[in-house]
Amino acid sequence: MTATFIHSFQSEWLKKKRSLASWLVVGGAFFIPSILLAIRIANFGKLPEMYAVDDFWAALWKQSWEPMATFLMPIGIILATELIAQIEYKNNGWKQLHTTPQTFTTIFFAKLLVIVSMFVGLMILFNIGILLVAVIPAALFASVPYPAAPLPYELFLTRNLRFFLDCLPILGLQYLLSLQFKNFLVPVGVGFFLWMLCLGFLSWEHSYIFPYAYSSLDHFATSGDLPARKYNLQIIAIGYFLLFIVVGYIMYLRKEDKG
Amino acid sequence: MSFCFKSRFYNREIWKAALVWRHKNMLCIETVGLTHRYSSSENTLNGIGLQVPEGGIYGFLGPNGAGKTTTLKLILGLLKKQQGDIRVFGKPIDKDRLATLRNIGSLIESPSIYGHLTATENLRVLQKVYQCPSGRIQEVLDLVDLARTGSKKAAQFSLGMKQRLSIAIALLHDPSLLILDEPTNGLDPNGILEIRELLQKLTQNRGITILISSHLLPEIEKLVTHIGIINRGCLLFQGTLADLIKMQDRASVIDFRTSDNDRAYQIISDSGVRPTRGEEGSVSVPIIDEAAVARLNRTLIQNNIDVYRISAFRKDLEMIFFDVIGEKTI
Repeated sequence: MTATFIHSFQSEWLKKKRSLASWLVVGGAFFIPSILLAIRIANFGKLPEMYAVDDFWAALWKQSWEPMATFLMPIGIILATELIAQIEYKNNGWKQLHTTPQTFTTIFFAKLLVIVSMFVGLMILFNIGILLVAVIPAALFASVPYPAAPLPYELFLTRNLRFFLDCLPILGLQYLLSLQFKNFLVPVGVGFFLWMLCLGFLSWEHSYIFPYAYSSLDHFATSGDLPARKYNLQIIAIGYFLLFIVVGYIMYLRKEDKG
Repeated sequence: MSFCFKSRFYNREIWKAALVWRHKNMLCIETVGLTHRYSSSENTLNGIGLQVPEGGIYGFLGPNGAGKTTTLKLILGLLKKQQGDIRVFGKPIDKDRLATLRNIGSLIESPSIYGHLTATENLRVLQKVYQCPSGRIQEVLDLVDLARTGSKKAAQFSLGMKQRLSIAIALLHDPSLLILDEPTNGLDPNGILEIRELLQKLTQNRGITILISSHLLPEIEKLVTHIGIINRGCLLFQGTLADLIKMQDRASVIDFRTSDNDRAYQIISDSGVRPTRGEEGSVSVPIIDEAAVARLNRTLIQNNIDVYRISAFRKDLEMIFFDVIGEKTI
């Protein structure tokens, strides 16, 4: 059973090679760091002062994550999840996949694991991008020193983990939708609508009920732009994720036509 | 509820022969009373009893929308079975689905290949699942003559190449049953010939059973050993190709056009042959040997009837096919 799942995962992993979803992950991960880097290089005269401060990493973190948490990450997950499902729709792949000797459970979770792995990959690449934003100007310009403050590994890891969990409900619901609708406009449209709805209600005290809002809520609460919530957003996020995955799994199994 | 009147009407002997054949041959696929409906309005399939013998090439024929793809999807488990039984390799498909699928290669409708991957990568995706030796990838690529496509993406392949790659995918794990749904769709005559030769090679060299669907009889008549004809969800004919040819003989007539067709009809009736009225009042008799034709001609002349024309009217297999499905020959 485990061996079958690993082989299934390997097979699914191969399918995303050179796919739009893969390029989206790479492009999405380096988009913000590239812009920040370009701005820093263009204004390299101000960098020595910026690099000397104690909260250099915290400032860079906030600067990088603000657009990522509110905008790029939710949109990236909505699009990448759909693109993974579209690999099958576009290439008439479902009927071939469903006639291979794998259980539907294996197929469902192998695909899910690929999407989760790509999400992890996005976060790793984004963090590498943040580090490069810090390091490259120092390497390019003699007047710019390397950051004096030590890299706060623990802070980075903890916040990365929190953002990862915050975004899982988006991934879960988008996966459910992408398996049900062949037309990519449906999952993408629903995803965008829910994301915008959540942004609109962000400052509402009960905004924690919206599954697409957690990364934004988390970021703004951490940076002090929104009051801290009394509820643990990550636990609610995990709950939503599990709910969406279970419902998505049942709906996938019950699908009449699997070809 | 709709019924298949035509299946009852059409040649009881063929069905008897099919029963005998069923007992004589091991069946690779057998469906009993397979019925399916997509909506509440009408059945897409009505009690289909498909019998595909082991080692044969079974041509599953029918016009577009007859129910071929639905039947094949049900056999492969792509559609949820609603009514009836499906046995593959003698076992119910829903009992040991994975073990059964391990021995089936399939191509349903349009090719299922990943356009952004090369031919080798497409096969690697399936090789991981089937866990067959990596060497099989090169073997099947050689078999379908795609070994030299290199780094070319499958999206850039011609339709014929895509079809051949799909067949390579279906053959990758060395299955004992191939289910191919209209594999020659959209191919030019040369492409059709290539696919036909490839499939013949497979049955001759490897003893694979093939169930192949098509909406055109001429496309597969040179290939198949057995035929099933379906229309509007009803299986109207099932038997060997020889059985179909027998039907062809029975549907063929010799037509006598004479100066007095009414008297000619009477004289031929009196001679012990059962005539029918042909076009423009001519007299038709079932196909008889040449000596009997000469005898009838002589009798007519002796009775002072001028014989203007004696012609044989032989229906080809395609006309028989259209007769079976109850539609006019184009």
